[in-house]
Amino acid sequence: MTTVLTPPGGRVRTDRPGAPRRRRPPLITGAATLLVLLFALLGPLVAPHSPTAQLAAPFQQPDGHFLLGTDVLGRDVASRVLAGGRTIVLTALAGTAAAGAVGTAAGVLAALASRRLGDLLLRCVDALAVLPGLLVVLVLAAGFPGSHAALVAAVALATAPFSTRVLRAAADTVLGSGYVEAALARGDGRWAVLRHDVLPNIAGPALMDTALRLVASLHLTATAGFLGLGPGGAAPDWGRMVSENVPGATLAAAPFLAPALLLVLLSVCVGLLAGRLADWAGRGAA
Amino acid sequence: MSRQFDRRAFLRRGAAGAAALAVGPGLLAACSTDEPRSDRKAGAGASARSGGTLRAAFVGGGASESLDFFNGPSALDLVRARAWHGTLGNLDPSGADGVRYGVLKGIDISDDLSTYTLHVRPGVRFTDGSELTSDDILHSLSALAAKSTLPVYRLAAANFDLARAKADGDLKVVLPTVRPIADGRMILCQGNFLVVKNGTKVFRKGMPSCGPFRLTEFTAGQGSAFERYDDHYGHVPHLDGLELRSIADSTARAGALTSGETDFAHDLSPVTARTLDDNGKVELVPTSSPYLVGLSFQMNMSAKPFDDPRVREAFKLAVDRQAMVKTVFYGNAQVGNDLPAIGFPDYAEGLPQRAHDPERARALLKEAGADGMKVTLTTGPETPGMVEMATLFVEDLKKVGVRASVRELPAGQLYADFPAYAALPLAGSYQMPIPALSTYQMSTAGGSPSAFGWKESATDALVAKARAESDSREAKRLGTQAQRTRWEDGNQVLPVFKPNLNAQAKGVTGIRDDLFEQFPGFSQASLA
Amino acid sequence: MNLAAFVGRRLVGAAVLLVLLSAVIFAATAVLPGDAVSTVAGVDASKAQRADVRAALGLDRPTAERYADWLAGAVQGDLGRGFVGDRPVTEVLSTRLPNSLLLAGLTLAVTAPLATLLGLWTGLRGGAADRFVSTAAQTLAAVPEFVVAALLVAVLAVWLEILPRVSVIPLGGTPLDVPHALILPVLTLSAVGLAVATRLLRVSVADVVASPYCEAARLNGVRGVRLAVRHILPNAAAPAVQALTLTTGALVGSAVVVENVFDYPGIGRELQLAVAARDIPMVQGIATALAGVMLMVLLAGDICARLLGAREGHGR
Repeated sequence: MTTVLTPPGGRVRTDRPGAPRRRRPPLITGAATLLVLLFALLGPLVAPHSPTAQLAAPFQQPDGHFLLGTDVLGRDVASRVLAGGRTIVLTALAGTAAAGAVGTAAGVLAALASRRLGDLLLRCVDALAVLPGLLVVLVLAAGFPGSHAALVAAVALATAPFSTRVLRAAADTVLGSGYVEAALARGDGRWAVLRHDVLPNIAGPALMDTALRLVASLHLTATAGFLGLGPGGAAPDWGRMVSENVPGATLAAAPFLAPALLLVLLSVCVGLLAGRLADWAGRGAA
Repeated sequence: MSRQFDRRAFLRRGAAGAAALAVGPGLLAACSTDEPRSDRKAGAGASARSGGTLRAAFVGGGASESLDFFNGPSALDLVRARAWHGTLGNLDPSGADGVRYGVLKGIDISDDLSTYTLHVRPGVRFTDGSELTSDDILHSLSALAAKSTLPVYRLAAANFDLARAKADGDLKVVLPTVRPIADGRMILCQGNFLVVKNGTKVFRKGMPSCGPFRLTEFTAGQGSAFERYDDHYGHVPHLDGLELRSIADSTARAGALTSGETDFAHDLSPVTARTLDDNGKVELVPTSSPYLVGLSFQMNMSAKPFDDPRVREAFKLAVDRQAMVKTVFYGNAQVGNDLPAIGFPDYAEGLPQRAHDPERARALLKEAGADGMKVTLTTGPETPGMVEMATLFVEDLKKVGVRASVRELPAGQLYADFPAYAALPLAGSYQMPIPALSTYQMSTAGGSPSAFGWKESATDALVAKARAESDSREAKRLGTQAQRTRWEDGNQVLPVFKPNLNAQAKGVTGIRDDLFEQFPGFSQASLA
Repeated sequence: MNLAAFVGRRLVGAAVLLVLLSAVIFAATAVLPGDAVSTVAGVDASKAQRADVRAALGLDRPTAERYADWLAGAVQGDLGRGFVGDRPVTEVLSTRLPNSLLLAGLTLAVTAPLATLLGLWTGLRGGAADRFVSTAAQTLAAVPEFVVAALLVAVLAVWLEILPRVSVIPLGGTPLDVPHALILPVLTLSAVGLAVATRLLRVSVADVVASPYCEAARLNGVRGVRLAVRHILPNAAAPAVQALTLTTGALVGSAVVVENVFDYPGIGRELQLAVAARDIPMVQGIATALAGVMLMVLLAGDICARLLGAREGHGR
């Protein structure tokens, strides 16, 4: 999953091959993503049974009562699947938002500061990027076990360096475009320029970058759950459910397949959406 | 089945007439059903099916695995050492003293229970040809074991004054006790006191050893290889060689077993074991009593509301033990009675089994003004089943009106911050098989941090008195009395004893005959 | 352009960065709650015993002092001994790191050529094929590794029984002694790596295709394979190589999941165990070594990019 963290050559590449392409926004992908997100966020509200209570013998086959059978501890798989997406999505979103904020701030700062200072800042950020993302998650999540905040911080820390690079590049482009100089010459204050000229112009790349990071964050969060590093215990969590039920995969496939497929669906949708958004925005900008 | 008249049966007959110190009648009865199942010819000189290399898979400890078993923390470190070095002896309910001696001929206890004399078995040879003497035992005990920080070895230092131990000639070691104890044989012959040559400081391949096998290869975190030691005391192993592998993941261990890459898989998770049920090529061989691990929950008496005995009792009544045995272990476990060390001679098996009574639990909580109380149970996957048990316990607690939740720490972290652990209001834990009264003295008496606020000097004194009693019936009575206090008032919920769920390829035999099952030995094993 | 000077400067920079990172890592281990005393002293240790162990491990000394000691040792190649099991850290590194590098190397060997082919094809062709491969790549890249691993195991090891479930490596041997045991781990890592690399290459190729230089070549009648191999690949390679090196570096440290699932004796799991046990010298040594590997890979990537860039310059 860390491979996804790799910045594409350290720049936002939105160019596409020569063939003409649709201009319309990625509506279908967007709708699908929204659906999965809603499923994850609202699922806990519609779970038919308690997701944590032991209701029957372990690894029962699906029937009318338990739509997806029971899991390793005899809990209802359907309810756990419904309840198990929220933590992952919220943690990943929080981590991404934090990374996006930090990345944007650092990126803009690096662009605004003097060349030397900006480069120095970027060097430091690069140094952080040298540490493999999962390593950061491993140390923080293992060091502060069961803490949502630690996981969010770890995800943010692991993804922020790439955002910083991307956004600095974006801010550089804006700053180099001339009209910032014009605004400064006009006598506008630095903050005003930042607010009115720089930030609105990098909002697009920032959002796109954030969407890309979200995929990575989802991976990290789910993997933390799989490795037993997330907020554990009885709380359902798709990543954790996979690792819980994989040993019994030969007894019942649904308890392990259902969360695995949902995880795949979620990250695929978000990943595709990010890609489409990038394509679309690139087209619009061109 | 026309069984060979083997050594075990012989020893059992001997035991019938002997005044087996501290060996309770219940245990003897329980164990007489434990017939040796193999039809192989065992014992020295017998021409058993021999040959082949047995490959066994264990959890292992990664790079921290060590040949120095006095400091190697993982179970595999001890298993490896058992194959490699001679032992003082193992617990054997059918043995004359409740033990089966290894490099010893016997242990004499002075009348005042303050001095133990270890008699060395003559003719035990190290791989370098030298003969094992009292100096070697003394070095292993008082120089190496005494300095070890591992809990198993602290047991010796807690009972014997190792600094004052002396060799008396080549074949005798005199060991003074810290305070008079009658059950010292069970402490010394628990299988973990292994003997290396006098002066040993560094543990490495090629060092002299006197166990059933000699080490030929060792890579930490990966495995070790052995070949038979043909001059082994007592009997020579049937196997030509032995390979002990580290495979951390339970499913992976089972996978290696079913695909024929190993012949024995140690300590599988209950689910993994269940998936092997229908596999015709392998069989489950769970450890038997007393080699069962107690899974428990500790209530912190220094924290409200667990200072109230009614709350503690309510928690004990709330737990559905049968459901745990059935759901978590698929029936492959025993119901516990809130006391550790089931199956050991000094375990208070006379106490009534605590019932599952949610009504009464609810009433008790109400009485104590603790209904609707909020509590977090902290646990971690330190041994298979632990987290699952906690999950079910919390659901049981919810049913009696406690707002309970689980906090699970990642593997290896539960005890990592011990002061923080000992301050938890409600914590998961597990008990390795150690005799009941020693367990109490080690981890509960004198306000030890792992006692979670239990401070009862009267019970401490009672336990000490029971251990110093040479009349076994009186010892049993005193011990039971002490354990009754723990059972009634104590802060430990111990709902389940689980075996190590081991599995082996069909046709493998003799592993259980090596006793000390939780750290399997292979000196009597043979392949199909 | 002086390559030696360039490499020299970058090496010095990497060394400085490594020292900085090692300090960051040390600080991180210092703020982790809990310590190795509980693991070493055992659960039932008394206060006095715990204090003894703490002193024996040197944990009672100030962090800065311990770091200075560690650094002094590290410069001479002595990374200390692990708290748990007392093994020299260098010994652990020397047995485990090569295994991880092997896994990463094999993955790269599988990924790079395939990604190049796919990237070239999609980048040049565009249209439906491009959309299909790009979507497939994006989909594949979105599947978490542990799901890929679990599915591969379920199908190839459990159901079809054509590959071993675990990587049981012969004692004293290397993973290369049991090539079939390497297939599943490499496949898992490659699945995701391939998707990412293909995407990156496609972008680079598309860039070059759109460039005036390529336009000129086309106008000169250069087409097909010749265009791809002689003109596009060399120019697209520089940014792609950099991206690939980053991927490889990350693989070394982050194969934890694969190591867990297949019981592969790599360095990632050792790190995980060391973190859990609060084995500071081990965590410090392994994390610093990983950062070092990462920096070396990046440097190698930069050198490649520079060499390729030089060629690109001549080409234009």
